[in-house]
Amino acid sequence: MFPSLDISTSALVAQRARMNAISGNLANLSTTHNAQGERVPYQERYVIFQADESVGANGAPGVEVSDVVISQKEPEYKFEPNNPDAIQEGPKKGYVAYPDIDMMAQFTNAMEAARSYEANLGAIDIAKNLQQQTLRILA
Amino acid sequence: MLSGLFQTTTIPVLEQVVNFSQARHNVLAGNIANVDTPGYKARDLSVEDFQDRLQRAIHERTQPPVSRSPGEPAQEEQRLLAHVADNSKTILRHDKAKVGMEYQVTEMAKNQMQHNLAITIMTSQFRLLQTAISGRM
Repeated sequence: MFPSLDISTSALVAQRARMNAISGNLANLSTTHNAQGERVPYQERYVIFQADESVGANGAPGVEVSDVVISQKEPEYKFEPNNPDAIQEGPKKGYVAYPDIDMMAQFTNAMEAARSYEANLGAIDIAKNLQQQTLRILA
Repeated sequence: MLSGLFQTTTIPVLEQVVNFSQARHNVLAGNIANVDTPGYKARDLSVEDFQDRLQRAIHERTQPPVSRSPGEPAQEEQRLLAHVADNSKTILRHDKAKVGMEYQVTEMAKNQMQHNLAITIMTSQFRLLQTAISGRM
């Protein structure tokens, strides 16, 4: 009935997925082990958006999350020889591998996601108002 | 005579629309209530199915009734309210719960629009009837 509502909703879902990825990145700022308990520092997650033609109409596509990409950035090595997590042998002996995540970039991203979410909520509100104005012709 | 008065308007059709949107609102409200229930799958009433059946019912009303011999069953039972199905597009979560809050709220808003539309048209039809009964503008 109103494709604009479906389009805005797809954006809400996509921005929420983006926000989840950012929260995960911030939560794992100093995570040195992966889910299997191996000494592999956490890698940033990036959510990839893609136009979704199945939502919406008249050349105005919605959006969907096509993939969540894991970054291949080098870890940040900090010299902590007394840390039991430190590398025991090799050229990096005494260093602890931490994820190289830029906290400021994550915050900026989070703010952008929140603003986008708000903008789409606003668009939904406007679409609803339009429909109510149309009804006023009858009343 | 009074039933004929309403049969000439679209009020019986609008009544079905309002009935459907209320039933659908209940289902959608149930989805939101179970947003944290593990294993819960979002349910929905099919709007297309309802519109289809309603259209057929309207068409049959305008056609002269088919004569049947006594005891012969009707062609199809008139059941306008669609059945509950889990066919909505949702996010699959780690706990297997399939509830996308945004989808549910948007569907609810759309449903509300349909309800408002039907009620508004119904109100204006009643106002017309009232004008006719009172005999003055």
